[in-house]
Amino acid sequence: MVVSLPWASGWFRRQAHRPAAYLNILLTLLAFVHGSLLLQEVFLQGPVDLSYPWLTVADLELDISFSLTLNNLVALELITGLSLFSQVYSLGYMDKEWALARFFALLGFFEGAMSGVVLSDSLFQSYFLLEMLTLSTYLLVGFWYAQPLVVTAARDAFLTKRVGDVLLLMGVVALCSFSGVMGFGDLYAWAAQNNLTSFAATLLGLGLIAGPTGKCAQFPMHLWLDEAMEGPNPASILRNSVVVTCGAIVLLKVMPILQLSPVALAVLLVIGSISAIGGSLVAIAQVDIKRTLSYSTTAHLGLVFIAIALQIPVLALLLLYTHAVSKALLSMSVGGVIASTNCQDITELGGLGSRMPATTTSYLVGGAGLVAFLPLGGFLAMAQGIELLSVRSVPFMAVFLLTNALTALNLVRVFRHVFLGDVLIKSRRAAEVNWQMALPMVALSVVVVLTPVLLVRLESLDGLLAFPLWAAALVVGSGLIGLVAGAVLPLSKAWSRSLNPLLRWFQDLLAYDFYTERFYRITIVNVVAGFSRLAFWFDRNVVDGVLHGVARLSMQSAEGLKLSVSGQSQSYVLTVLVAIVLFLTSVSWFLT
Amino acid sequence: MTTTTTRPLQVEAPTLPDQEELIRRLLSDTPLLKDTPDHLLQVVNVLESYGLVLDAYSRNLVDQGEKQLLNPFPVMRFFHEGITVQRIWDHLLGDRINFEYAEYCQKAMFWHGTGGLDAYLDSEAFQQACRTIIQRKSRHDPLLAMTNRLYPGFAPESIRSLTTIYCLGLFWRVMSDLFIDLARRYRIKEVVSVKDVVHHIRDGLVAAAAHPITYKVSIAGEEIWVLPPEAGLTFLVDVAVPYVEAVFFRGMPFLGTVSYNAQARQISPDISDFKYGALYADPIPSMGAGIPPSLCMKDMYRNLPAELNRWYDDHERGQVDVHVQICVSFQKSMFCVTNGAIAGTMPHVLDTTDPEEQQANRAYAEHWTSRLMGCRREALL
Amino acid sequence: MYLSLLLLIPFLGALALIIWPGSASSARLRELTIVLLAVQCVASFALLLPFDPDQAGLQLVEQARWVHVIGLDYALAVDGLSLPLVLMNGVLCLVAAVASREITNRPRIYFALLLVISGAVNGAFLAQNLLLFFLFYELELIPLWLLIAVWGGANRAYAATKFLIVTAVSGVLILLAFLGLALVTGTMDFSLRPILSGEMGMTSQLVLMGALLIGFGIKIPLFPFHTWLPDAHTEASTPVSVLLAGVLLKLGTYGLLRFCLGLFPEAWQVASPWLAGWAAISVLYGSLAAIAQTDMKRMVAYSSVGHMGYVLLAAAAATPLGLMGALFQMVSHGLISGVLFLAVGVVYARTGTRDLNVLRGLLNPERGLPLTGSLMIIGVMASAGIPGMAGFISEFLIFRGSLQPFPLATLLSMVGSGLTAVYFLLLVNRAFFGRLAIAAGAVVNPRILQSVPLREQVPAIALTLGVLVLGLAPELLSGLSEAATTSLSQLSGGLS
Repeated sequence: MVVSLPWASGWFRRQAHRPAAYLNILLTLLAFVHGSLLLQEVFLQGPVDLSYPWLTVADLELDISFSLTLNNLVALELITGLSLFSQVYSLGYMDKEWALARFFALLGFFEGAMSGVVLSDSLFQSYFLLEMLTLSTYLLVGFWYAQPLVVTAARDAFLTKRVGDVLLLMGVVALCSFSGVMGFGDLYAWAAQNNLTSFAATLLGLGLIAGPTGKCAQFPMHLWLDEAMEGPNPASILRNSVVVTCGAIVLLKVMPILQLSPVALAVLLVIGSISAIGGSLVAIAQVDIKRTLSYSTTAHLGLVFIAIALQIPVLALLLLYTHAVSKALLSMSVGGVIASTNCQDITELGGLGSRMPATTTSYLVGGAGLVAFLPLGGFLAMAQGIELLSVRSVPFMAVFLLTNALTALNLVRVFRHVFLGDVLIKSRRAAEVNWQMALPMVALSVVVVLTPVLLVRLESLDGLLAFPLWAAALVVGSGLIGLVAGAVLPLSKAWSRSLNPLLRWFQDLLAYDFYTERFYRITIVNVVAGFSRLAFWFDRNVVDGVLHGVARLSMQSAEGLKLSVSGQSQSYVLTVLVAIVLFLTSVSWFLT
Repeated sequence: MTTTTTRPLQVEAPTLPDQEELIRRLLSDTPLLKDTPDHLLQVVNVLESYGLVLDAYSRNLVDQGEKQLLNPFPVMRFFHEGITVQRIWDHLLGDRINFEYAEYCQKAMFWHGTGGLDAYLDSEAFQQACRTIIQRKSRHDPLLAMTNRLYPGFAPESIRSLTTIYCLGLFWRVMSDLFIDLARRYRIKEVVSVKDVVHHIRDGLVAAAAHPITYKVSIAGEEIWVLPPEAGLTFLVDVAVPYVEAVFFRGMPFLGTVSYNAQARQISPDISDFKYGALYADPIPSMGAGIPPSLCMKDMYRNLPAELNRWYDDHERGQVDVHVQICVSFQKSMFCVTNGAIAGTMPHVLDTTDPEEQQANRAYAEHWTSRLMGCRREALL
Repeated sequence: MYLSLLLLIPFLGALALIIWPGSASSARLRELTIVLLAVQCVASFALLLPFDPDQAGLQLVEQARWVHVIGLDYALAVDGLSLPLVLMNGVLCLVAAVASREITNRPRIYFALLLVISGAVNGAFLAQNLLLFFLFYELELIPLWLLIAVWGGANRAYAATKFLIVTAVSGVLILLAFLGLALVTGTMDFSLRPILSGEMGMTSQLVLMGALLIGFGIKIPLFPFHTWLPDAHTEASTPVSVLLAGVLLKLGTYGLLRFCLGLFPEAWQVASPWLAGWAAISVLYGSLAAIAQTDMKRMVAYSSVGHMGYVLLAAAAATPLGLMGALFQMVSHGLISGVLFLAVGVVYARTGTRDLNVLRGLLNPERGLPLTGSLMIIGVMASAGIPGMAGFISEFLIFRGSLQPFPLATLLSMVGSGLTAVYFLLLVNRAFFGRLAIAAGAVVNPRILQSVPLREQVPAIALTLGVLVLGLAPELLSGLSEAATTSLSQLSGGLS
């Protein structure tokens, strides 16, 4: 029921151009309101599980099941809420878009799949919906299908996620075979008393983390998020905030199963750390305003991965929620900049600050919410994290702090480029964005400011604020370092690349994302292409060659395969004759 | 199935008129667009529908200029005809003129910022007017007062934008009347060739050239000049030419065909190099995703004269690709408008015998044709 | 008498078309064929009424002595294995007839052959006598050969001959195996049920099963017997391709389950690890070869090689789940490849090319083929195993059913499933995304791209709906066949 609401909007594809959009927004609003009523109820009366049988074959039983727990519903509210904001925002951002209905239909589909993922109570269903998410990401990124880079971006987004999904499918199928159940509760029970070999458990664990790794744009499957920035900005808002959250929530749900495999947990830690630090560094070298954000998403999700690997679900959720709202707000602000300047290159922008109140405010608030500096959501999550990590693993504490500092540096750098400084030609005439965009920005800014209050209402107050002062000091300190570094960093518009060759090499390395794309092209893509050419060559020459040889022999004539049209009927008669003779001889031979 | 299907067609690139030919056409008062009856039919009719659309756009923009000053939530800005339940319903259903496209053109003009109007927006007099307006407005609008204190650039920039909106409305008023008059003259057979069309536009532009552009707002009964008559802004030089520059030539890259990715460097950092305007655009992707002029095509389709609609029925895919066909015709007609504008701003009369004047004319023609060379010249065939 | 109706309608219809007096136009003949096939389709679906899904054995048995002296009797029956395939045959033959719009060359024979194929396929699925099955199996071959040889593309002579020779070999092998079976058991009875290979030595079982396996392997087709398929598809017209991929390949997989597995369960069990390996190779090979294709139709054809490999994998595992998956895969592949071939057919008819190096931007809303593009996207996504569509269910069931017996082969097949996404995405991205070229200097001239009326798309839309319905409500199909697949699995001792 809850999930069906946003889904319904998918039905209204392409009927007309605007009504579909309004309908979609209405349904999202309905879903949001319904969700919050449910939340209220669950808050008072405890979680509810819903389950409907779907497919029963032999020993396989698949159910459609939803688990309405507090956490799941909060995630649902996050998704429907942010979807609502971004859909209203789309009305403004895409107001000159003729294919608006298709866009909204896809957004509805997208939202429906995400809502399903967070509520899902079965691994099979989660996989099912994650794949739908992959599909809708492909279609959303490919929305502007006529644009050449969009074409490659959509392809890469789909294939990268698909690689993760196929590995996840392997994990799901294996788990299903081993345990025979798919509901999360049953799986946990099974995992608690399993007797898998460690090798099998490792493979299983790796399969299970592959899917979320792809979804959360984690190293080494992070490439798609950068390319997906070719898609429309409202979808990027969702992608940067809630889509990655969905992936992480699936990972959270399989967390108890992952415990079977220490290797998988270690891999998760490595992935998380590389993504967090690598992503932050790469973000700093970007000149494209959307990409500065997308890499920072990779970085923050890396922190979430670390939290999950260390089995601290509370921290993972805190990070996810605070990141989602702040990043959504930042993305909205960035969209505002793009809409009013037709430009994504931060070196070509400047001096927008005083002219665009809503955009600037939302950038500042979003940034403050993300970076642990001011007592907003990000600070609470980080401080909590430092405290929790200090008793588990000090090195990862450093990763957290470093990521925080680098994120702060990056955001300040972008802010100086875009909102401060001299007015450049592309930002010379830039009025504030239209109200459909400004309104959600302002509203979400309020939400971000209120995040701590909301979080405190969810968690118990003392639980959330129970971090020691030194943790807070460390966090604020790291934020401050980043802030100051970002503020004093020399910025050059014309020479965004350094003149120092070593530094420039390093800068290029980061700007081109450690040349990951080129690396993939040289390795995986080439290997697959090579094998496919080999297979085709084999087909042409060996298989067909043998066939032709046999044919020549049997027909006693090289012309056998090159019959002229007039020769067809003869060959037909001939073949039929041969067949009949063969048949009759064998029958008679058999009868005697 | 025996092969009745068409083979892939290697279409030979048509020979396009070269620059010398374009100069010759300009200097000999030959239309740039090939003078054929089909072209005449398309151009006149599509300009008539465009004129009707511009009429609505213009009324709306002028109305916005008068009523939406520093309104933070201009929700009802498209209802210049008054608000009724029926209109709101139609508006929501999309059964309406897409005024968003008018704003899109305004934004292009505002953002590219060339010509006299734009220069005046940076003048001290204008800033003084802004200060007065903000001060008067702030008295009753605490939100504005606060925003202005925190973000002092916001209100003046909004006023600049609104000024451009208003001026574009004034400009389109003239053009709309011009195009609808063209259709009238076509029907009474006063216009019988593409050449007549170009002449009509040229004469219309010349007649309106010195039209003063002024803008005055009233706040609580007090009238404040934003563009006073003393600024001396005129129709042709200060509004029409920047509009042609911004919309016909430069334009803004369509998200549906060009990547904004900074690292891909598909978009020139210098906006004067932009070649995304109406004369450069490819009509085929019309109505696709990320192509804003689709809105305008739709609006024109709503107002399409029956004659042209019938003509489209018999061409290409008929009604299926009618918007693309409109776009093709529209591009042809925009070449005629450009042609008329160039003819109207020629330094000297074409039949001058003075060699110096001839030289000046030629230089002027060379200047324009060199820009036209990069345009979609196949539209001229 | 009920099942015979499914044979009589098309056969008598074909006869009627041939002897129809006077000259009938192509359109008239097509309408007549559509009516006949629609009746047949309805009659097939009417089987659902008397059919009892809970019963594993044969139902609606019909028997009559025929050429009893050589063991050829007329015996028809239906069970959960054949029923879905009969239904699919009914649907796809109807679709093929509806899609046969542009038949100008000897329409009378064309439509008659179409009807013959439909009847013969029904006969093969329903036959309960080995020789009767063989007769029908061969009976569909000749019309199909003619359909390619006479109504095919430029290089049709080569493709048709290749098809004929290779599938004739397949027929001979199958016949030999049937005869050998009778020889070894020493009875003259070719009826399906009483034949039990139980008393045979393992060697003779393996030899006979091997002959059947290669015979059906050619038809399915499995690597390395597959090269006739891309050639045949490339030259065949769209409706024929739909039939070929959707129905005729299924004769091979059906034979695999019914005869190889059904008659030689012990030998099957012995050979199954090799079969699983073979399946994985076939899947990977088909997928990789598909990636290298630039002709859309060849690409779809190679995808069939890969996707039919899953069926062998599941059959090798012979778990109840796997066999259900195999059946599901047969049906979903039939529907999906129908959608894909119809869409490719539209592209070819409108642009005159299927070359992926040439086609661009066909999603263009007014000058392109937007609806075809949308159907194509759904089709390829279904084929790539995206949930919500039929392809996913079958793949999941197959993988789940085969993982435990053959983990490695199953994992490799999953990789093949990932590769499906690669080549089909290449197809969609190249042909449908991007910018439709403008006239000047472009290879594809949008001027000649005619729009496609909605009614021409009805068959593809119907199949797409089928793909979605089965994907969202798989119980519709699994409920019909579960008893049958489970009993088939038990026959071979179910490796699970």
